[in-house]
Amino acid sequence: MRSNTYSILFLTFLLFIGGLGSTWAQTFDISSGGAPTITGNVGGSVTGSSSNTSNLAVSINFGEVSPSNTNNIVRVMVPIAIRSLDEYKVTATVTGATNVNVQALQRSDIGFGVTNMRRTGILSRDCENHTIAALFNRNPATSVTIASNGRAANPSSLNNLNSSTTILSGPPLSWLLASRLGSNAWIFDANFVVTPQFYASGTMSATIIFTISAGPTVPCS
Amino acid sequence: MFKSIKATAIAVLTILLFAVTASAQSTTGTVNMSATVSKFVEINSGGAVTLSGNSGGGVTTDGTANNPLSVVVNLGELGPSNTSNFVTANVPLKLRSNAAYSMTMVASVTGSGTTANKVGAADVGFGLGSISRTGVGVATGTDTNATAGDPTLPAHGGVNATSGRYEFTGTRSSLASFATSTAALSGPSIMNAVPRSNTNGLTVPAIFAVKPQFFENGTTSITVTFTVAAP
Repeated sequence: MRSNTYSILFLTFLLFIGGLGSTWAQTFDISSGGAPTITGNVGGSVTGSSSNTSNLAVSINFGEVSPSNTNNIVRVMVPIAIRSLDEYKVTATVTGATNVNVQALQRSDIGFGVTNMRRTGILSRDCENHTIAALFNRNPATSVTIASNGRAANPSSLNNLNSSTTILSGPPLSWLLASRLGSNAWIFDANFVVTPQFYASGTMSATIIFTISAGPTVPCS
Repeated sequence: MFKSIKATAIAVLTILLFAVTASAQSTTGTVNMSATVSKFVEINSGGAVTLSGNSGGGVTTDGTANNPLSVVVNLGELGPSNTSNFVTANVPLKLRSNAAYSMTMVASVTGSGTTANKVGAADVGFGLGSISRTGVGVATGTDTNATAGDPTLPAHGGVNATSGRYEFTGTRSSLASFATSTAALSGPSIMNAVPRSNTNGLTVPAIFAVKPQFFENGTTSITVTFTVAAP
């Protein structure tokens, strides 16, 4: 009798959790995945939360990218945490970074790639079949080539994000909750690179919005 | 059974508490980015110096392409014992920029002579030769040569009928025109958007010439400094 009472209480508790889940929690979440880093810069910086339960709000300043920056490349790595109870996809869209002068810094000059998809803890589901879109499945810092016109060329760049573009998709990411716990996310690194060149002088600014939403059906494996 | 249920309930409650304390969620995140491209200009050696018509002398410190310009040339004998028409030093320059540029030059000529017959700034002919914008990554453009060009050309000098001294008469065709910083070359942006590792650029020879004459004997030192800027 006493055991049955506790069982009923426990079931009620689970229903309560379910209620909270629908009240407080969405199915998907995207957040900071840790402190972003920058290398090869002259006068640049990157700011963002080091906590993977904080909003994804990163500000990158590549600094000087004229030839006075003698580094081969300026690289920024932004860890991004994602959580979901269902199959998901992550899309990215860029605005800005356009210039009518073709010799100025363009979207195509900012290489972009996704690397290092990884679990954060015991509440991250152990499904390994996440798919980074082939175009972006690279470290852009090691993918730069020189085009026939002498300009550094990135096989994947912000120019490939002119409209909402899927960069990552896969099976459910989290157990129980997609709310921000320290241990229920998967994290990937969004990599941005610029090769210092004889760009026409000026400034560039751009915004990239990452969005997580329901994705294609992908059984966990 | 009861203990198991209790433990599970505690675990779920713990998770829930975490969820309550970290319940913020968002389906979007933002990365803002910016970058700066400042005006950039540079001048380097365009290659080896050539010296002709000299008697004695030689290139003491030669130029090396794409390295800082710092050459030393001994023009040798400039008295009448040198029977060449001119002693000529050709110093290749290489300029690169991502913006419109202006190259100025300043020269000083000093020596042991004490009379008007010593080698002076007006006796050292100067001009910029043919300007070349070639190679992958080099932008097309029209440059303005503020000098008359090769100072040894007959059109740019001759013997003064009155004094008998050879004079460089073209526009800015001797170092006398560069006693203070004076424009020598200007033009639009030289390079397209290519990395610094691309070694192409605008090349132009700086031509220095002296007509051997009955100068006052002694030694002469000539220093020329080129400066490139993006106005």
